[in-house]
Amino acid sequence: MVLVLALGDLHIPHRAPDLPAKFKSMLVPGKIQHIICTGNLCIKEVHDYLKSLCPDMHVTRGEYDEDARYPETKTLTIGQFKLGLCHGHQVIPWGDLDSLAMLQRQLDVDILVTGHTHQFKAYKHEGGVVINPGSATGAYSSITYDVNPSFVLMDIDGLRVVVYVYELIDGEVKVDKIDFKKTATTH
Amino acid sequence: MNYLIGAFKPPCKVSITFADGRTRKQASIKKENGQTALVPLFQSQENIVGEVAIEPAQGKKVEHNGVKIELLGQIELYFDRGNFYDFTSLVRELDVPGEIYERKTYPFEFSTVEMPYESYNGVNVRLRYILKVTISRNYVGNIMEYQDIWVRNYTPLPSINNSIKMEVGIEDCLHIEFEYGKSKFHLKDVIVGKIYFLLVRIKIKNMELEIRRRESTGSGPNTYVETETLAKFELMDGAPVRGESIPIRLFLSPYELTPTYRNINNKFSVKYYLNLVLVDEEDRRYFKQQEITVYRLLETF
Amino acid sequence: MTMISESIEDEDKWLAEGIAGLQHNAFYMHRALDSNNLRDALKYSAQMLSELRTSRLTPHKYYELYMRAFDELRKLEMFFKEETKRGCSIIDLYELVQHAGNILPRLYLLCTVGSVYIKSKEAPAKDVLKDLVEMCRGIQHPVRGLFLRSYLSQISRDKLPDIGSEYEGDADTVMDAVEFELQNFTEMNKLWVRMQHQGPAREKEKREKERNELRDLVGKNLHVLSQIEGVDLEMYKETVLPRVLEQVVNCKDELAQYYLMDCIIQVFPDEYHLQTLETLLGACPQLQPTVDIKTVLSQLMERLSNYAASSAEVLPEFLQVEAFSKLSNAIGKVIEAQVDMPVVGAITLYVSLLTFTLRVHSDRLDYVDQVLGACVKKLTGKPKLGDNKATKQIMALLSAPLEKYNDIVTALNLSNYPRVMDYLDDGTNKVMAVVIIQSIMKNTTCISTADKVEALFELIKGLIRDLDGTPVDVLDEEDFKEEQNSVARLIHMLYNEDPEEMLKIICTVRKHILQGGPKRLPFTVPPLIFSALKLVRRLQGQEGDVVGEEMAVTPKKIFQLLHQTIEALSIVPSSELALRLYLQCAEAANDCDLEPVTYEFFTQAFILYEEEIADSKAQVTAIHLIIGTLQRMGIFGVENRDTLTHKATGYSAKLLKKPDQCKAVYACAHLFWVDDQDGVKDGERVLLCLKRALRIANAAQQMANVTRGSSGPVTLFVEILNKYLYFFEKGNPQITSSVIQGLIELITTEMQSDNTVSDPSADAFFGSTLRYIQFQKQKGGAMGEKYEPIKV
Repeated sequence: MVLVLALGDLHIPHRAPDLPAKFKSMLVPGKIQHIICTGNLCIKEVHDYLKSLCPDMHVTRGEYDEDARYPETKTLTIGQFKLGLCHGHQVIPWGDLDSLAMLQRQLDVDILVTGHTHQFKAYKHEGGVVINPGSATGAYSSITYDVNPSFVLMDIDGLRVVVYVYELIDGEVKVDKIDFKKTATTH
Repeated sequence: MNYLIGAFKPPCKVSITFADGRTRKQASIKKENGQTALVPLFQSQENIVGEVAIEPAQGKKVEHNGVKIELLGQIELYFDRGNFYDFTSLVRELDVPGEIYERKTYPFEFSTVEMPYESYNGVNVRLRYILKVTISRNYVGNIMEYQDIWVRNYTPLPSINNSIKMEVGIEDCLHIEFEYGKSKFHLKDVIVGKIYFLLVRIKIKNMELEIRRRESTGSGPNTYVETETLAKFELMDGAPVRGESIPIRLFLSPYELTPTYRNINNKFSVKYYLNLVLVDEEDRRYFKQQEITVYRLLETF
Repeated sequence: MTMISESIEDEDKWLAEGIAGLQHNAFYMHRALDSNNLRDALKYSAQMLSELRTSRLTPHKYYELYMRAFDELRKLEMFFKEETKRGCSIIDLYELVQHAGNILPRLYLLCTVGSVYIKSKEAPAKDVLKDLVEMCRGIQHPVRGLFLRSYLSQISRDKLPDIGSEYEGDADTVMDAVEFELQNFTEMNKLWVRMQHQGPAREKEKREKERNELRDLVGKNLHVLSQIEGVDLEMYKETVLPRVLEQVVNCKDELAQYYLMDCIIQVFPDEYHLQTLETLLGACPQLQPTVDIKTVLSQLMERLSNYAASSAEVLPEFLQVEAFSKLSNAIGKVIEAQVDMPVVGAITLYVSLLTFTLRVHSDRLDYVDQVLGACVKKLTGKPKLGDNKATKQIMALLSAPLEKYNDIVTALNLSNYPRVMDYLDDGTNKVMAVVIIQSIMKNTTCISTADKVEALFELIKGLIRDLDGTPVDVLDEEDFKEEQNSVARLIHMLYNEDPEEMLKIICTVRKHILQGGPKRLPFTVPPLIFSALKLVRRLQGQEGDVVGEEMAVTPKKIFQLLHQTIEALSIVPSSELALRLYLQCAEAANDCDLEPVTYEFFTQAFILYEEEIADSKAQVTAIHLIIGTLQRMGIFGVENRDTLTHKATGYSAKLLKKPDQCKAVYACAHLFWVDDQDGVKDGERVLLCLKRALRIANAAQQMANVTRGSSGPVTLFVEILNKYLYFFEKGNPQITSSVIQGLIELITTEMQSDNTVSDPSADAFFGSTLRYIQFQKQKGGAMGEKYEPIKV
């Protein structure tokens, strides 16, 4: 069981002052093996905080990130899965599933994690799974109205990944989960 | 029994006893040789009643020219040794000339004897009262026997007994006000008072109260003064500051005092003084002496 | 050095001698006790006690000697008691011991007999006690006197004629007990103070050390007084406290005054202090100027604070005695009286008073403000504080209300609060500002009126702008960032549901941050922009609700404000950020159906792109953002749309690197095809873009040939292919299956060519694209039909 925390679009301090307290109390160091972050943290303090939760942290560049050295895309292998990470403002039209699928094919990954729209999404298509963890702070988005703070926790176990999405709705944390199984055939 | 110090063995024993010998109080008197002796105690105006017993030695008989007993009150000044001034002399004839060949007793009485002065053993003077029995004899010396009595006179509480209050000092150095509650003290009295410090510019180490006796004998060019410190009583330990008041409580009973004797028979005086002494850090002594009157209190029960 | 060590050795020697002498006489004393020989007992005990007459020992060593004597005297006391049972008169014994010629042994014996005397009840306790305490005056030597009186205190403690005690007399003997203790205390204090002035000036430190060793002897008397049952509030108020204070004040000794004031406060109940507050405080200004009265007052206030916290029932008492005003006045008087008191001292006092006020009268903001006001008064006329300690105290003063109220709004109501802050030096002022912000963030306080926002920003002005015209100096860059980021976070805590008020808040914040200068604007402008955009969105929801009424707040007005605010970033200059913010505003304006406004924002974005953004990487991102935003705009009419898309595609094609050009151009294809119901679907223009992209990709290959001798990877072609597939699926009539087929073949050929550098990721990409096509074909239905002609 490998736990991967996927989150992004915190937009601290441009659009939000901090992570919601309820999220902060849930995220404790030592419980998570990897963090993948879609981008738009935006400042070093947030980077350091996430790093403190888990030293194996991967970030891609969002258009508001202070650190310009984050890569545009990133791929990594966790267990049996190949994961791809990209903020998503580079994929036009923003939030378009087919365009994202193209990126997934290009990166050759089982799971593509992107952000930018601040809206949680997790769907499977022929090429794999696309996950958007939404905005961990519920930051303002020109694309999505009424953003609820959300993040994703993936439990990768063999050929199976369970995607838990945590959403803060009206002050309460709601959890949902989606199962994905990968076929044994490798690409 | 007094024995005459003489070369000859006395032919008889003479003894003087008192009628109330068993009940009469005795005074314990220190003698010149350091030993203490018990002496019957009398007051002025008392009757001295007793009996003289003459007991010839075994087989002897005493021929005499008469037996008498005298009560003498005398003052002896030591610088004038051997010179006795009798201020009182009373005599009782006990027997007409005759022979004593067996034990014979003669009662005697001196009534309401004026003994205005107290017995006193001083440094340079002695005042004593003696009973002297004289057996007169021709050709050989008289046989004499002595018996001391001790006289103490009591006075009642003085009607006036002013306190002694005085302010003394050395300009710019030390200024105190001392107060003794009374000026007249009886022998078992307590000196109560206080010392109040008005100005203290010297470093005082301690303060004590001395009782001094001054015995002065003689007159004119032959005046001898003996001063003795009878008591040294520490009143204060340490240096006070201005405004401090130090209490005095000195019990007289432990000390060998006598009443104040003023001009006894124009021969001597015994006076008492309180000497307040302050000692500074350099052991300099500052003192103030004050006479007090000591008396013997007549106790009313 | 040798002299001092010698004297320490000497002291030990003297102590040993003293102990030996004491033990020697004690031995004979014991013999006398065993054989019931009173005379000898007195003789040897007096000799034994004479060892205590020594002047050669320091208090510490003297104490050791004293303790041994003390133990021996206990045996003697028992003996005296036995003697009285055997018929000896206690009164006679009382006199007998007074015959001793030396006063110190005499008084120790007298106290010892006195103890038995009181126990015998042959005289009222008060009489004996009175006599003893009087007679002890004979010892004027400080150390010896202190120990003697301490002995008196020890043996008399359980024999005081207190209420309920077996020694209680007929009438009012508690007063006698009190009188006894007060007198002993007074005399002991006098002796103790006297020590200060004995000896040479150079040994002052040594003397003070010795005095400190003895202080508890003096303080014990106060403790005993506090334990006397009969000392009720009345008696404390009328007799005990005034007498004690009289001695404290009159002794004019710094050491004594400090210690005794502290003693009084610690030893007597808090309730008493409350009820005698005026008296107690009245003494403070009368103390020596060097007495650390502020610590004393702080102790008092702390005790009273704890007392207040102990139970709610006592709180009315505080009000009834007007504790606050009394303390406040007292502190004022002390500060006035001690002209040499450094500023830090005065501030410390105010901190204590504030702590007290917050504990006891937390609802009285006027009191809190008063304390701050007094502080301001003290600081007036003085330059800004450079003193570290004073600064720390002021920060404590300012932090206390924050911590207590957990609500910055309350602190903002304190009129003197900003005035106090003004006296901090710039650096500390900023630190304090950060503390304030942290407090807000921690408590997630929301500040909801423009007035409060104004007040708040005045408070934190040190962070907002350069004070006094001095530029941001040697502040560490990291620290500066942290500072400004905290201001940015703060802006999100300013909120009101009412749009009018919210706009006022935004304007207030704007006014302040625009004074921040080029270094601060990049941090402070974005949060304000987004705050305003959120307001716009709220208004969107409300539009149409209010009919016919002139609304004060409209999106249009806000966009105007936004425009001007983003413009300010030009002085930094912060073009990339400004561009992004313009695009955000464009999207929002689009959602509000404000075409000219939207257009204007795009114009500004393009101006920045044209004139300011020169870095190639930045251009790539910027153009994608423009394209992405533009793609979503539904508001434009044909003319405007054409102008903007033309610009976008134009710039896309002019990017520095060919691959970037290619990607941007095929992205532009989406500008002409919006999947919405009434979105534009211009198939031709789409195809034009894709073809153009192909051309660019070709050119890129050729360039690679020329420069490297081999073609680059076919990735770009695969990407374009995917785009073709996209529009194919969307039903662009211009894109036919044969076009796609042709492209597939082109790629295949390229890949197999010798010239081409083989690239596994490109291969994989192509492979998965083909698999996708296959998948679509196998889907069946309309999609399957569509894909049918394509052969892979």
